[in-house]
Amino acid sequence: MNKKYLITGLLVVIIGIIGIAIVLANENALVVHPKGIIAKSILELIATNILLMLIIIVPTYIFLFSVVWKYCIKKEGIKYDPNHSYGKTGELLMWGLPSIIVVVMAIITWNFTHKLNPYKPLESNIKPLIVQVVALNWKWLFIYPEQGIATLNDLHIPEQTPIHFKLTADNSPMNSFWIPQLSGQIYSMTGMTTQLHLMADGPGEYTGRAVEINGEGYAGMTFPAKSISHKDFDEWINQVKKSPHHLTENDYKELAKPFINRSVIYFSEVEQDLFQKIIQKYMYPTTPVL
Amino acid sequence: MKTFFLGKLTSDAIPHVWYTIGGTIFIIIMAIAIVAYLTITKRWSWIWNEWLTSTDPKKIGTMYMIFSSVMFFRGMLDAGMVWLQQSIAADSQGYLTADHFQQIFTSHGDIMVFFVTMGFFFGLMNWIVPLQIGARDLAFPFLNSLGLWLTVSGGILINFFFIIGGDFANTGWLAIAPFSELEFNPSVGVDYLIWSLQLSGLGSLLAGINFLVTIIKKRAPGMTLMRMPLFTWNSLCAMVLIISAFPVLTATTLLLWLDRTFGMHFFTTDYAGNQMMYWNLIWMWGHPEVYILVIPAFGMFSEIVSTFSQKSTSGYISMVWAAIAITTLSYLVWLHHFFVMGAGPTVNSFFGIVTMLIAIPAGVQVFNWVLTMYRGKIHLASPMYWFIGFLIIFMIGGMAGVFMASPPADFQVHNSLFLVAHFHTMIVGVALFGIFAGITFWFPKIFGFKLSERLDKRAFWFWFVGFFVAFTPLYLLGFMGAPRRIDHYDSSTGWQPLYITSMIGYLLILSGIATQVYLIIDSIRNRKLYRDTTGDPWNGRTLEWATHSPPPFYNFAIVPPITCHEPFWDIKERKLQPEKHYKDIECFKNTGMGIYISIFAFIAGFAIVWHVIWLIIVGLIGIIACIIALSFDDEMEYILPAEEIAKIEKSYGQGELWKKQVM
Repeated sequence: MNKKYLITGLLVVIIGIIGIAIVLANENALVVHPKGIIAKSILELIATNILLMLIIIVPTYIFLFSVVWKYCIKKEGIKYDPNHSYGKTGELLMWGLPSIIVVVMAIITWNFTHKLNPYKPLESNIKPLIVQVVALNWKWLFIYPEQGIATLNDLHIPEQTPIHFKLTADNSPMNSFWIPQLSGQIYSMTGMTTQLHLMADGPGEYTGRAVEINGEGYAGMTFPAKSISHKDFDEWINQVKKSPHHLTENDYKELAKPFINRSVIYFSEVEQDLFQKIIQKYMYPTTPVL
Repeated sequence: MKTFFLGKLTSDAIPHVWYTIGGTIFIIIMAIAIVAYLTITKRWSWIWNEWLTSTDPKKIGTMYMIFSSVMFFRGMLDAGMVWLQQSIAADSQGYLTADHFQQIFTSHGDIMVFFVTMGFFFGLMNWIVPLQIGARDLAFPFLNSLGLWLTVSGGILINFFFIIGGDFANTGWLAIAPFSELEFNPSVGVDYLIWSLQLSGLGSLLAGINFLVTIIKKRAPGMTLMRMPLFTWNSLCAMVLIISAFPVLTATTLLLWLDRTFGMHFFTTDYAGNQMMYWNLIWMWGHPEVYILVIPAFGMFSEIVSTFSQKSTSGYISMVWAAIAITTLSYLVWLHHFFVMGAGPTVNSFFGIVTMLIAIPAGVQVFNWVLTMYRGKIHLASPMYWFIGFLIIFMIGGMAGVFMASPPADFQVHNSLFLVAHFHTMIVGVALFGIFAGITFWFPKIFGFKLSERLDKRAFWFWFVGFFVAFTPLYLLGFMGAPRRIDHYDSSTGWQPLYITSMIGYLLILSGIATQVYLIIDSIRNRKLYRDTTGDPWNGRTLEWATHSPPPFYNFAIVPPITCHEPFWDIKERKLQPEKHYKDIECFKNTGMGIYISIFAFIAGFAIVWHVIWLIIVGLIGIIACIIALSFDDEMEYILPAEEIAKIEKSYGQGELWKKQVM
């Protein structure tokens, strides 16, 4: 009878693990299918940490199940020792073993946190591309200051090039900017700049989205992040520059009003220093810059 | 003049959408049903004298639990609505608007944390802590009653938007600023949230102070700190957390309210408000808060595993220090809730590493729990099912926790469903499983009969399997890049099958809850069958088992001798017999003041939400008048004479108390 339960239980666990593996193997599992150097390093870190934890978790599970099996279910030939104690050595092991694992993990954490600091520029021979990101309610504005263009809800980046994002928000609460396959998240906040560096390995289209609740249009605040070759990127810039839309101060004011907009707009010209003005708007409340 | 009398109230506040109309009708029908029942059975004076005004911690504990159970149904309803929406909202809006969806998960979070988990724990502590330390009552019986009724008034206020207002906060359970500021949230929903948390937070703070003083000052002679049972120890730790953390919540939400009401700029986006400050403050309270939810459960499981293994808890001293270590560390980790805010790598690593340190005492606890079973004589009763289920789940949750403690890893799962799965693992698998185990374990002590073992085990299997079916998909969805709190998504993401699987898990859990409801009804019906006459149904080890079941209102006629941390086991080992020499006992009278003050507090809270100035004045004056009236009441205690105690003890008709148990 007990054996039957045990086998059923084991089967269920195995089926569960296979199910999990199938889900994670699918390309839809974005975090485990990274396409950029930062996301890849993070995945490495995640794998290392999980393995380290398993060193201690797996034996504990085995110990737990064998104790449950022997003392709760089978109950044959067990020794009852109401005053059993494991003594000083046992105590030392109990505090010591997890401590060793945690010390190892702490060192790894310190190193990786510094290595994967989102503010740290990536090493590369290619000059980084600067993209200024403004989180609006409920759309994403991307400004390419060096190219003098801007896009709404559409991010194009050249492959194998470090991208330096500078982020802020306007007329919006805190937002979080996330392209899972390229890098981790960073918040964007009004009156402040946060930074994020990432680099895509090759061409591809990745999902980006807002990950911090900010109201009605929150769920739809997604954008495609398209990584393309340098040649295509230059072509794309030219294409944007032909767009009839301009982003002047007044246009921006209209755009910054809260409304749901999932359409893509290209702006061939952008107000000078728009990004700085958006931030400064929150610095000088008495003399609005915008 | 109109603003003086009506404040912000307009005719729009009257229910006019399906869920507020439905909610209002449901609340009114329930109220009418209760009133009718009490009137027909002529129980008004009974319920007032025996229950509502009681200062007996066992009755207050029961009332906490009844209240929390009611709120639990509300919270589960919210959860079901969230799950249903997310299962069907691929490429469509589903059946809820974004705003309504956001209100539902906000109230789900607040209700489950403040009114369900904390309410159940306060209930269990009221039941057991005084008994475990050999005390006859809490240090401040009146405050205990007041704490309960303030919590209840907070619970009513959080549901009151159904009747007046129709709008709840859509900000997430922490009312995160600046999203909760007027700029983004002009309706009264956030004010309802703030003031229901103010009321219940005050209730929790009072209860926290009360239990801390009780545990420090009211222990029976001989019970030193290192002889306290582990549940009492863990409760003590949780109370220290409450006392030091809850004022932060009160202050933070008050600042938010000042922003919203008087146009101040603590957390606004403009005029130098600092939104990041709100996050720091709210999590300085919030992280200790989540430990308040799990630490008492650790204590309960320690009691349960040692009782049912017929063995002393392995490593008692280590267990105490582990609890203290977790308590202390929980103050130093709040920043791990927002690693992605852009604090430097050094700050992030510090908080990440401190978070990982918590795994050490947690690991020590796990080893000791398993070792307690080792070489034990285990009685596999239903609380042990919950315990073993908890251990299996807790290790997964702990692993997910340490996983996220690493800042770069957190960048990839922050605010994703992975996080949601992690904290539900902890709150369902640890806190709720602990509550269910604790209720099953101590139910016979408080009511004099056991719960049905068979049904409780069935409920366990529903919960256990349901838990995995519901939350494993959420972990996976986190890896698939699914953020929390979204009301719809594109089907190309491939999330829908997992959302639906998760929904099936919810239905399994719901079946578990239905089983539990049936379990209570069935056990009450068959209470003669399940009766416990010994006062010690599980062969217990600590003092709560050394008195009758249910215990008389004074708990112990004679306080038993205490020589070790398992005094009752010791009494049984040495076959001691209680003295027959009763002494007079000072008892606390019933008082309705807790209810009166809470009613006025509710009125004030409601009026502040709507800016009804005259009603605010009424509420505040009422509270002050009640406190003044209370201060003139010199006779709050009375002496219960020894003869009376002898009579009551005799009426239990069990002969000598410990004799039966010692055999």
